[in-house]
This record gives sequence, C-alpha cells and structure tokens, in this order.
Amino acid sequence: MAEKHHWTRRRVLGTTMAGAAAAALGGKRAALAAPALQKGSKVTFWGGLIFSDKANKLLVDTVNKWGADNGIQTEAVMINQNETVQKVSAAVASNTMPDALDLSLDLLLLLSRQGQFLPLDDVYDSIGKAQGGWYAPVASSTDTSKIAGGRTGIPFGVSGNLLLRRDDLLSKAGFSKPPTTWEELAQQAAAVNKPPLFGLGLALSNVGDGNVQISVMQSYGGRIADDAGKTVTIKSDATREYLRWVKAAWDKKLFPPGNTTWDGAGDNQAYLAGQAAFIANTGSVGIAAKSQDPELYKATLYSSLPGGPKGVVSPIAPQLRAVPKSSKNPDAAKALIEHLAQPAFMNAYYEAAIYGPVLQDQAKFKAFTGGDPILAGLLDLVQKGTAPAYPDVFNAGYADMFNNFMIPKMVQRVVIDGWDLDKAMDEAQVGTQAIYDKYK
Amino acid sequence: MIGRNAARDDAAPPGARGRWIAGRALTYAVLLAAVALVLLPIYWMAITSLKLPREIYRVPSLWPQTITFNNYRILFEDKDFVLAIRNSLIVSFAVTLISVFISSLAAYSMVRFRYRFRGLFGRVILFAYLTPTSLLFIPLSILMARLGLGNSLHGLILVYLTFSLPLSTWLLQGYFRSVPRELEEQGMIDGLSRFGALFRIVVPLSAPGIAAVSIFTFTGAWNELLLALVLITSESQRTAPLALNYLITSDVLPWGPLMAGAVVSSLPLMILYFVAQHYMVQGMTAGSVKG
Repeated sequence: MAEKHHWTRRRVLGTTMAGAAAAALGGKRAALAAPALQKGSKVTFWGGLIFSDKANKLLVDTVNKWGADNGIQTEAVMINQNETVQKVSAAVASNTMPDALDLSLDLLLLLSRQGQFLPLDDVYDSIGKAQGGWYAPVASSTDTSKIAGGRTGIPFGVSGNLLLRRDDLLSKAGFSKPPTTWEELAQQAAAVNKPPLFGLGLALSNVGDGNVQISVMQSYGGRIADDAGKTVTIKSDATREYLRWVKAAWDKKLFPPGNTTWDGAGDNQAYLAGQAAFIANTGSVGIAAKSQDPELYKATLYSSLPGGPKGVVSPIAPQLRAVPKSSKNPDAAKALIEHLAQPAFMNAYYEAAIYGPVLQDQAKFKAFTGGDPILAGLLDLVQKGTAPAYPDVFNAGYADMFNNFMIPKMVQRVVIDGWDLDKAMDEAQVGTQAIYDKYK
Repeated sequence: MIGRNAARDDAAPPGARGRWIAGRALTYAVLLAAVALVLLPIYWMAITSLKLPREIYRVPSLWPQTITFNNYRILFEDKDFVLAIRNSLIVSFAVTLISVFISSLAAYSMVRFRYRFRGLFGRVILFAYLTPTSLLFIPLSILMARLGLGNSLHGLILVYLTFSLPLSTWLLQGYFRSVPRELEEQGMIDGLSRFGALFRIVVPLSAPGIAAVSIFTFTGAWNELLLALVLITSESQRTAPLALNYLITSDVLPWGPLMAGAVVSSLPLMILYFVAQHYMVQGMTAGSVKG
C-alpha cells in the first residue's frame, strides 16, 4: 500500500531546523565529484514549455549560460507539454532523443520500464543532501528503483489541484473560510448558485480535470483496487456514498451546463468567464487572472482540496528531468541537471512558474514565503498532499484506468443517463477489472 | 436579367408578381443565411483578435467594447510569428511546385503510355494517399532521422510530398485524359518532342486543373500540423500551424493571440482562393465530368 505522508508543523519545523543546521555546518552544497566536461561538446535539452513565458525564458537562458561557462554548446528547446508524448514517442523510435529532458511522472515510469533512461542516483543523492532532503511524497512517488534498477528522474517541481474560490461572492453569503469537506463545499456552492453563475465548476468529463473525482471518491473511502493493486474494488458502500454526493449536487443544478463534456480548459474558462464560484485547478487560472483580469484575481482565494469521511486526498504530480541512455554526452547532461537544481535558479524559476517545491530547503525560498497565494498553496500541497494514486497503488493498471477516465464515466452514467448507482458501479467495476487484468 | 424578368412579370396575371417577389425574398433570405453561416466564424475570429482578454471571457459580444491590437503585438513581437509564416510559405510553395511538376509527368505517363503494371502503379499511388497520417508519423520520423533531415524544412517538404504527390497525380490524370490525343500528335508531326507536347499542349490546356491541384496541395501543406509537430523541434523551423499550437501552453487558452494568429494564417489562403477561384471552379468541374 502506498504510504501517506502527513507533514505536521512540528515535523516541518524540525526538518527545517535540521536543514538549516546542516547548511550552517558547512555543506552549502555537497556537489558530485564533477566529471571532466568535454569542452566543445554539445548538449541538447528539451524543457517543458509552461504557461509562464518568464519561466520558460529563464530556463533557456540558464541552460545556455551554463553551456557558455563550461565551454559546451547547448541547444535548449522548449517542448509543449501537451505534445510531449507524441514528440518523445517519435524521438525514441527514431533514436533522436535529446541529452536531457523534462517530463511527467507517467511518461518517466513508462519509459523507465522500457529501459530508456540512465540511473541518476548519484545526482539525486547529491541534490537531496545539499538541500535538506526531498519531500517524502516526492521521494516515494518518483522512486523507479524497482522497475529501472535506480532512480531515473530528478524531480524539479510539483503540481496538483488547489481549490479556487470567489471570495467576493462567498463572503457576502457569510462564508469567510474555505470549505474543509466536500459536503461543506456543496453547501457553500449552493448559497451562491445563481445562474449564469454556478457554484461547482468541477469537470465531470473525460479529461484530466474530470479525474479529480477519483480523489473525491477516495476521500469518501472508495477505492479503485485492493492493496495489492490487482483486484478492483470500486463497488462499495463508500463509493455509493460519494455518488450520492455528486448526484445531490447535480440535482441542485450546482454544476455549469456542459461540464460533462468539457475539454481540459472547460473549468478554467468557466471561472474566467465568471460562471463558476469554485474550481479545482493547478493555479494556472490564477496566473492568467493576475494579468488578464486583476479584479477576478483579487476576488480569488486558494485553499487545499476539501476532504471526505476518510480525510483529504490531494495527489501531487511531480515533474522530473531525465537523461536518455542514447545521450551522447551523459556526463554533461547530468551536470546540467544538477546545475538546474541550484537554489538561486530554482527560487527565480518558482517565482515565475506554477510548481510547488520538491526539496525541504526550498520551502524557505522567497518564492514560497513572499505572500503569493498560489505559490503558498502549492507549498501547502506538497507538505500536506498525498502520493499519486493514494490510497491506491500507482501501477500500470491504475494509470490505464486513469487515462480511460473510468470514474468520470461512472459519474456520467448517474447524472446524464440516470442510471441507478449500483448499475453504474457495476459497469465501472467490470470495465476497470478488465483493464487491471491486462497487467496481471 | 432581372430587368427582363421584371418586364415579363408586368404582363403576368395578378398574384404572380407577389409570388415572384416572395420567391426572390426567400432566395435572398436563404443566401443571406448561408453567407452568415459561413462568415460568422470568420467574423468571430477577427473580432476576438481585437478584444481584451477580460472581454473575451466575460462579455461575449458581436463588437469589441475596446479595440486592441495587443494580441497582434504579442504574436509578432513576443512570439516571432513572422518567422513561422515565412517557413510555412517556403514549405508550401516548394511542395506545390515540386508536386505539380512531378505529378504532371507521372499523370501524363499513366494516361498516355502503355506499360506493364501501369494499373497497379495507379492503385498503389492512391493507396499511399489513403494511408492515415497518424499511422505514418513514426516511420516517417525514423526515415527523416536516418536521412539526416529531421528538424529541417527540407525534411518537412520531403514528407509532405509523400502525401501531396499521390493526390496530385490522381487528380491530374483526370484532367490530362480530357485533352484530345490528336492535338499532341499534330504538335509532334510539327516537330514537338514528347516533352514539348506535354508542356506546350497538354499542360496549358489543363491549366484550370493544374491550378486546382496547386491550390489543394498548397492548402494541405499550409495547414498540416501533426507531422510538423513530430518532425520539427527548433523554434526557428516552426511552421504557422505549429507556432499557433505552441501558443497553447497550459489549460488556459490565450484566445486573443490564438485568434490573431488564425487571422494572419488565413490571409494567404484567402488571397490565394480569391485570385484563383475562377480556375478552381473550372478545374473542379472539368475534372469531375471528364475524368
């Protein structure tokens, strides 16, 4: 069973103190024994293109400056994260992978199983030792030792869902604090629900945002599969309880029209259009509102996802850097990745990007202590969040179920097709078991 | 025409004029509805490119409350979209010229000469065109990498030719068949070579068809995204659809710059169709009835 990592204030303070003491005792940075970098050689780096132009430019400039300082020719290309899978698939097939690249945990796990990446344990240990250690959920979820014989990815950021709320409307309705449970969320949403403004801007469609419903179901005690990650256990009293919650909110017309067919931008557009009082989002909407709609930005507050009877389930999604085995310059690629983990760069990068920290010492960065509500929320996410799939096991079956949107589809059966809860659960149970059986 | 009808209607029995007016009104109403249906998305694209972000989301309206050119500034200054347009022009013109030249020779050969497996070649060419791009992008990317043409406009031109040549050849066969063989024979009696007969008689007489094929080929190359996405990595080599695609970097869509890019990307095609619409209609008709 995946381990849940609760970060109490005492533990955070203790870790912070320990990190500070370690730094004071001399280890500003326990650098790797630097291999001799071949002057004049070339390193190609594919960075993940994100919403912030400033962050993208900073990454490219830093890579190029590192190259210039070390006499290495660099080519830093930003790859649209929406198309990373197609791009990397073609590059693997044609043996044209770069020397280092950014990618999601899903893709890293998939390609690590195929033996595409070099082990980077030395880089991982070096960075972790120098910066107070890795956050526990980050460390556990990115450990590829069992499938690839070592750690193949170096985490550099964490994303996940925050709850965005329209404080201007909710305060007037008497709700000054964020909802801590899904029931409270529905109550607050109902209080401000006045079409064309709808209370719950949550996607129930077959997109990544729709999979937030998995977390809601899990917080009610529902599970995708057993602790072995083999037998599907969707049909349960806990899942039934969760479905009742969704159905009740649906019947009260708290969801904006079309939310069962939204694409990945549907909830964001609803929020930016002033049609939703609550949405669950990575923070990109907040960044967009900051520049495009300052009035909405000021009216927006951020908090962690609410919880259910079994607590809060808020999975983190780590982003990583890896070195393909086909790299012609692996030593330089590893040195570049270690360079990109340096505090000065990462602080500036986090200030512009929308990622939470991955290392304990990064919590002290100005980016996270400077009062930016989105970044503070992302720090909170990594400190209180859960490992991907928790309390389920993150395996190939789970990933396949996730990509086939089995839980949003089950919800659609209930709210759109009007199916009985048990019939909807039966269908999800059978369909998901068929998926899991493929990997037995 | 209208005057003649009106004169005829003056002599028509009472009630006929009313029916004529009603018929005309209905005709124009249907035409106006069709025009609105076609133009509304283009109009929406154009006005969205002139709106502020907040207005795009908050106040969907048929006319901008505040007209801004900031979306175009972002496109040209921050995103260097001119470079993408230039790349698209290079690729599309190169693909069109090469494709029309080679497919003219291929189509002429299939229409005029008799040789073994001619029919088989014709069918294989058609099958090559019918193979879905999504099945071919990985094999093509491997091929381009081995040829050392990955991440280059040359590679992209070569790949696009694999899709445009079959279609062009297939279409041109129909147009070439419509040219009487006797004209060529007379030209050759007067001293023309086989190439001379092709380029001085067949090609000029098939001009509408060649124009139509050129426009199809140009449009296909101009709009293509999937192969460009896979084959092109460097920012400096991106084509217009790829550059537009790279404007979307998260789950928040930058509608203003996207629509500005769509307007700019549409202009060359609109101009091309406007200039060549006469040939286009003529060419399509010729191909359809004489092929």
